[in-house]
Amino acid sequence: MAEPLVVIDRVVKRYGAETVLDRVSLEVRTGQVMVVIGPSGSGKSTLLRCLARLEPIQKGRILIDGVLSAKGTEDEGPAPDKTGGHDIGMVFQSFNLFPHLTVMENITLAPRRVRGMAAAEAETQAIELLRRVGLEDKRDVHPARLSGGQQQRAAIARALAMRPRIMLFDEVTSALDPELVGEVLKTMRGLAEQGMTMLVVTHEMGFARDVADDVVFMDRGAIVERAPPDRIFSQPAEARTRAFLERLLEREGGTRRER
Amino acid sequence: MGSFRFDMVVGYWPDIVDGALLTLKMSAVSIGLGLVLGLMLALMRYSRVPWLDWPAYAYIEFFRTTPPLVQIVWLYYGLPMFFGRDLNEFWSAAVALGLNIAAFFAEIFRAGIAGIDRTQWQASRVLGLSLTDTLRFVILPQAWRNVLPPTGTTVIYLVKGTALATAIGVPELLRVGQLISLETFRPVESLTIVAIAYFVLTYPIALAFQAIERRLAASRV
Repeated sequence: MAEPLVVIDRVVKRYGAETVLDRVSLEVRTGQVMVVIGPSGSGKSTLLRCLARLEPIQKGRILIDGVLSAKGTEDEGPAPDKTGGHDIGMVFQSFNLFPHLTVMENITLAPRRVRGMAAAEAETQAIELLRRVGLEDKRDVHPARLSGGQQQRAAIARALAMRPRIMLFDEVTSALDPELVGEVLKTMRGLAEQGMTMLVVTHEMGFARDVADDVVFMDRGAIVERAPPDRIFSQPAEARTRAFLERLLEREGGTRRER
Repeated sequence: MGSFRFDMVVGYWPDIVDGALLTLKMSAVSIGLGLVLGLMLALMRYSRVPWLDWPAYAYIEFFRTTPPLVQIVWLYYGLPMFFGRDLNEFWSAAVALGLNIAAFFAEIFRAGIAGIDRTQWQASRVLGLSLTDTLRFVILPQAWRNVLPPTGTTVIYLVKGTALATAIGVPELLRVGQLISLETFRPVESLTIVAIAYFVLTYPIALAFQAIERRLAASRV
């Protein structure tokens, strides 16, 4: 089997005295969709942020396609390669679009400045991406004029414009009104179908069930269990996983959205 | 006795115009220097890199807490004492005021940059934008809206502050007023005409800043 696209190797992340990630190891192969679930404070968002190199790690290493992308500040050894950073695209809970730029400018800024793409080429690509996320009529609009769901889809298009090999989704539907969640999940399903490698932190169990190749359950900074969705949802191996899923189902009760 | 004799000073209007032009020129030099240096200082402070942050901090506090009049005198008399070279009156005053106002601009800009949500930096970082590109295309265009009002106030404050150059004999507006006053023995009338001249200089600046603010507010959709 080919080497995994992402290798997370015994990563330790601390904030002061508090250990947020405790020797986390995880491998993701090209084209895999991995959904990370777990209670808040379990370290799942931190894991994505470390992957995106928004946070330094204290120990361990992260490899992207065999190239060292991050390494523990407390570890010896060669420094990571800083040139390949834009292999990773990330979408945030709060969208984080640039409010002073139009949707088109949001999408073309990085390809032009970082990839050195010509303006016309960047725009052609942006139009194609906007069509993919269903926002072709919003190109000249500022983000404040968009609904939350539209903003999040624009943010996905912006990330895709850098042609990343891996997309990280950090609770991207958590800030949305319930009726807008579906359109964003649909966009993500489309990406998964096209073979994008994805790491998704979410509370949307329906999405996890339908789209994930594997579901990872995290608790207190560690990966407790990793299994395909049908197994983890029907017969979780670990008691902690079972307890979490039961609590979740209880809370959502009969009103759980099916999608 | 005691009547307001404006007619005795109006004849000096060509001198007033000369003084006003010099005030304007000095203001332009000081503001230009202050803006560039102020932005650099703000970025040094914001960087949180100790060897950039600390000198900037020391600079800002030094220039904020000592009188600009003393700073002008230091530069004018002190420079030749220590370096054997001097600047003329105009440049001494303009540079000293520029160095001074830079400290105030720095604090305004720093607050403006700090007011931009951290997530904007993170989004830029994830997209691979360099630090300079992040500042140029993402952070500063947004900070700009927030720093505009206090920047306008500081610019107007500086234009009037150039009157301190009188102390080393630069023939700017206030100095011209003082000379007219000495010749006519009409201090109230002389200084009133000077005040009117300052108003004519600064009010358009205030209007310009208000217009830019309005335009930015309108474009904020």
